[in-house]
Amino acid sequence: MMDWSANHSGFVIASYAMSIIFLAGLIVYTFNRDARARKRLTQFEKTKK
Amino acid sequence: MQQFANPTQFLSLANKALPTIWAVTTILFALGLYGALVTAPPDYQQGETVRIMFVHVPAAWLAMLVYTVMALASAVAIIFRHPLADVAAKTAAPIGAVFCFLALATGSLWGKPMWGAWWVWDARLTSMFVLFLLYVGYIAIWQAIEEPTRAATIARIVALVGVVNIPIIKFSVDWWNSLHQPASVFKMGGPSIAFPMLWPLLVMGLAYTFLFLALHLISIRSEITARKLRNLQIARGEN
Amino acid sequence: MRLLWALLRRDLILAARQGGGVGTALGFFLTVLVLLPIGIGPDQVTLQRLAPGMLWITLLLSVLLSADRIFQQDFEDGSLEVMAMAPASLELVVLTKAFAHWLSTSLPLSLAAPFLGILLNLRTETIWPLALSMVLGSLALSLLASIGASLTLNLRRGGLLISILVLPLYVPVLVFGMSATTGNPEMIMPSLLILSAMALASLVLAPIAAAAALRAYLK
Repeated sequence: MMDWSANHSGFVIASYAMSIIFLAGLIVYTFNRDARARKRLTQFEKTKK
Repeated sequence: MQQFANPTQFLSLANKALPTIWAVTTILFALGLYGALVTAPPDYQQGETVRIMFVHVPAAWLAMLVYTVMALASAVAIIFRHPLADVAAKTAAPIGAVFCFLALATGSLWGKPMWGAWWVWDARLTSMFVLFLLYVGYIAIWQAIEEPTRAATIARIVALVGVVNIPIIKFSVDWWNSLHQPASVFKMGGPSIAFPMLWPLLVMGLAYTFLFLALHLISIRSEITARKLRNLQIARGEN
Repeated sequence: MRLLWALLRRDLILAARQGGGVGTALGFFLTVLVLLPIGIGPDQVTLQRLAPGMLWITLLLSVLLSADRIFQQDFEDGSLEVMAMAPASLELVVLTKAFAHWLSTSLPLSLAAPFLGILLNLRTETIWPLALSMVLGSLALSLLASIGASLTLNLRRGGLLISILVLPLYVPVLVFGMSATTGNPEMIMPSLLILSAMALASLVLAPIAAAAALRAYLK
């Protein structure tokens, strides 16, 4: 088990936090972009009719 | 290969596969993080900071893997003129850049407690930094050229020139580093990592890979959607 | 073949007459080398240690600065299109133009560098290795610059893009150029050989990549 009170544990926490934040951000961004693209397409197809 | 040529076919295949891919990704991350933070023992010399390895090394692996994917896709685009190849290359780049950035950032956070400096010009970090430049250049070229076909052609060349450069950089930076004998040479757990450290590392590596796969497929899907829209707009404009 | 000779002469004459690209590069080269000691301080020991690095990096940057000149003007006035249709292959045209760039810009700078190195208290035993390594390396530098120039032809902010694209290519040249000047005589031959290999490899690869890029822009 990780010893949270060990020396330099802040660096470990920071590394994992950065990784999680950036990867989560990437996931959110990717999903968002996909949803927006699909929305724009369906909206455009609606106006075509 | 041919079944992916048709974007619609690709989309249906991707959509079917994605839930499974996400499930696998989640399981792998859960397993990997458990191994990294719970079962892996602290290092004799580095203590708990060795756990940074479990987020740094996979990020570095992916940074390299994604660029290879970009280069392969570019080669496929040139040789087979596969319609989705350029899309695959273009969409992979930002993902790879994020992994590369994480590799650099976590490398820095690992280096500070170990070497006392936020940044050291050792061979690996320097190579990774140059790789980041390669990503930036590739993404920038897509942004800079407006005409899509031309952008694709130029981007392919950038990716392939870059991939040829990577081993050369690795070689020359290793050489340069050995010339300058850094004060503390970091050996990553030596040639054989103990098993309690190895399996979380491999699991995390797989987790990162599956994450890339999922994100890449979704990005390709977005790009296809966007192109569909553009084509419809152009067709509408011509009426 | 005669075409290529004519092209070479034309590019060299243009470079000499206009002085724009060559002059800018040379001016930049001189200015930086004068400013560096002012910035770093007059301590002779420090300057001597940093001299090879400063000379090499200034050479890199100067070549990079003049890189867009390789194709830009000919693209703008349409002569590049004519060249693309000529019987000589576009790859050979690229090679010729890169060679012209080397002869008019990179080579003169690399020959001037050792002399300017005296301003920086360059160690005498590193003068010959430095000169040789720069002559060899600068050929690679011009060729690699032509790749960057072809990729960013006529783009807005092309200058910035050229730098981002070409600097990773320059890293190995810099590393081996510098390793010739460490003062260790055993390093000189291997470094020069590797630099030659790089120059030769660029001779083959650069025209292929650059011609492909140019075709994309000329379509």
